[in-house]
Amino acid sequence: MSVLEYLMVLVKTLIYPGVIFVIILSLIYEWVDRKVYARMQNRIGPFYVGPSGFLQPFADFLKLLSKEDIVPPHVDYHVFTLSPIITLYLVLLAMFLIPTGAWNEPYAILAFEGDYILALALTTFITIFSFFAGWSSVNRFGVIGAMRALYQMISYEISMFLCAAAVALDTRTLCLSRMAEVQASGLWYILLHPLGFVVFILSMQAELDKVPFDTPEAKTEIVGGWLTEISGKKLAFFRLASDIKLFFCASLATTLYLAGPWGPLGPNILWFLAKVTFVIILVTTLRAAFARFRIDQVLAVFWKYAIPLSLVQVLIALFIPH
Amino acid sequence: MSVIKELLKNLFTKPITLKYPQERKPPAERFRGRVYVDYDKCIGCGLCARDCPASAIEMVVIEPEKGIRGRRPLIDLSRCIFCGQCELSCPRKAIKFIHEYELATSDKKSLLLIPPKPKGSQKP
Amino acid sequence: MKLSLFEIPLGPQHPALKEPIRFIFKLDGEIVVGAEPRLGYVHRGVEKLAETRTFIQDVYLAERICGICSAAHTTCFVQAVEELLGIEPPPRAKYIRLIVFELNRIQSHLLWLGILAYEMGFDTLFMYIWRDRERVLDVLEMITGNRVLYAINQIGGVRHDIDDKIAAYMRKALSYLRERTKYYKGIVERDPTINARAVEVGILKKRDAIALCAVGPTTRGSGVKFDIRADDPYAALDEVPFNVVVYDTEDVMARTLVRIDEILESISMIEYALDHMPSGDIRVRVPRVVPAGEAVSRVEAPRGELVYYVRSAGGEKPERVKVRTPTLANIPALCKMLEGAYVADIPVIVASIDPCLACMDRAIFVDVSKEKVWVWSERELRRYSLRWYRSREGVRRR
Repeated sequence: MSVLEYLMVLVKTLIYPGVIFVIILSLIYEWVDRKVYARMQNRIGPFYVGPSGFLQPFADFLKLLSKEDIVPPHVDYHVFTLSPIITLYLVLLAMFLIPTGAWNEPYAILAFEGDYILALALTTFITIFSFFAGWSSVNRFGVIGAMRALYQMISYEISMFLCAAAVALDTRTLCLSRMAEVQASGLWYILLHPLGFVVFILSMQAELDKVPFDTPEAKTEIVGGWLTEISGKKLAFFRLASDIKLFFCASLATTLYLAGPWGPLGPNILWFLAKVTFVIILVTTLRAAFARFRIDQVLAVFWKYAIPLSLVQVLIALFIPH
Repeated sequence: MSVIKELLKNLFTKPITLKYPQERKPPAERFRGRVYVDYDKCIGCGLCARDCPASAIEMVVIEPEKGIRGRRPLIDLSRCIFCGQCELSCPRKAIKFIHEYELATSDKKSLLLIPPKPKGSQKP
Repeated sequence: MKLSLFEIPLGPQHPALKEPIRFIFKLDGEIVVGAEPRLGYVHRGVEKLAETRTFIQDVYLAERICGICSAAHTTCFVQAVEELLGIEPPPRAKYIRLIVFELNRIQSHLLWLGILAYEMGFDTLFMYIWRDRERVLDVLEMITGNRVLYAINQIGGVRHDIDDKIAAYMRKALSYLRERTKYYKGIVERDPTINARAVEVGILKKRDAIALCAVGPTTRGSGVKFDIRADDPYAALDEVPFNVVVYDTEDVMARTLVRIDEILESISMIEYALDHMPSGDIRVRVPRVVPAGEAVSRVEAPRGELVYYVRSAGGEKPERVKVRTPTLANIPALCKMLEGAYVADIPVIVASIDPCLACMDRAIFVDVSKEKVWVWSERELRRYSLRWYRSREGVRRR
């Protein structure tokens, strides 16, 4: 490859649409989430830092980086310290698989047959590392929160994977970028698989640890859940990772159901961002409208309702192809 | 489920939060802010100091030649609980409460309401 | 093989608690098998302080025992002193006392409803309810001059009057509140997540409620019809009609609905009182010296039955003031409710009795070296403290 091509690869992975772009956009989406949540509750939300409080998540991240990082005496030190770093790395890697439409290209930075399986597997690994963080912190509340994270994982993962599998069966491809491309020339899957979309959004809510499924970090019940003993830079990384996870899951929903970056004039990043914003506002509305379920009720909701419905969706995709 | 309608409606209405201190809400008429003493009406009886639940009022001698009638109340705002008993106890209605409520300060001495020498209005 | 039970502390600092209290729960997995409360973190020695101040000053001390139910404390104390003096406040004063009392109840129940929603993770409802609660606080500020700690009850009557302008504002605010309370009632009854967290949670059977002497909405949610306003009317309650709200499903949802219905009842009571308020004075002059005697007065505070015992030896200062607050009576019932509950339900159940720990604290003594635990009566504590101070010369009793 020529020097120019090397440079382009570097720019794409590190700057746009790579690491720096993803981080900045996730922090902006955190602002969108907080502002919309506040306005729904008749409050102002962030407004002081930057125009309309737009730089508040950046200020929070920088503040956390500068705070004291307290490591309690009996923790499993290496697991405890490495979990935020590895979580951040995994979720950034996951973002490379999403077709964003940057540079008007139809494919993601890292697109291959089967990247859809890698994307879903990465979401599992990310949750397992939050379990590690809570378990290694050897704090009563951390341990309870870590266990709850695992209980939730065995509930929403199945329904999420089944809904995504229904889309994969229909589009006859295992490449996320191709799944988005197929929808550009036909109907979007939100209309073809409405049941799957609803179940997917519900499972996403549980993946993102948001009300009504935020039992692993239930503030009022177990202090901080698995995040109880995490402070300073580790907390900054975990919070950034959870913002990027929000961006990633919303992009996954966009790619599977809303035709990714494809608009009337071909793949375009602005269309992609508009659709992701729509999904994020949907997540925020669900967050504002419900109370929190208890952990056994979370398992009941998923195993009694979400998983059977997603199985129905798979059967529909198998026997009624489009 | 029925909250969702209100949620979406509130997205488009102005939030009710006041951006204090740029926007302030005026207090009600009977609001008990800071204590205000009209030293000319005061006769130095000392009922306010006797009845104050927080021991915030102390009678000090201003005009020694007048004996008891030369005393005036020295009020320590840092002890005041803003209950209004002094206003009720005063037989001449010389104490009242004004609407000033932003009393936080880093100088404790400024919270002492010292009665002035005669022929002057109160100095906060 | 006996599994050792996992012990988890709750408090004294915890995001679920508004005031410090310490529980030690013994867990078997996610189920609570034993609950041991430890009180005493907010003990301020109010009963002793009351003996060092005159009756007039004690009204303000009683008010500051609890910021949320302050009208209940002043009403109760003032009624006890008026009984000792043998005077009756004028009828208009009784009506105004009732109005401020019921406004306090509305404000307290709205506060509690918001806190319950917050404990369940429903931030939106918390924000909406507290926004509407501001209306009540504005009305209270117009009548009394302050949003909390009203200082409107005086021995012999009330301090301020309600004129027509205030009454007109009140009626508008009350009809707005009535609409909003009905809306919140609809949400609480129909929202699936709130139902999942509140129905069949925190069961307190009727016979346990009676045996453990629970008071207030805690016991009215278990089917026991016990309300001091009906059993032992005070202020203008013998002339203002109202219903005692009782639900019998014995869970958190029942207590929630009891409180919401009580808000609606209070709104009707205030409107009736405004319509039928007699004219006249609002105060009578009372002497500063209270004749010797003792008096007990009870009121229905927002959290339940509040009892005051006042004894005077014939001077300006009381000889003894004893306060029995409703939350103390509800703590044994709380421990019973917690047995068999899930860990995740603990904050919701603790919140459902509406704990006001500032009112409640008592001191127990734990001698760690000798492993003895005991409780002292007031007389023993007093004797001990006098002996201790006298043995250290130069320390004067104030």
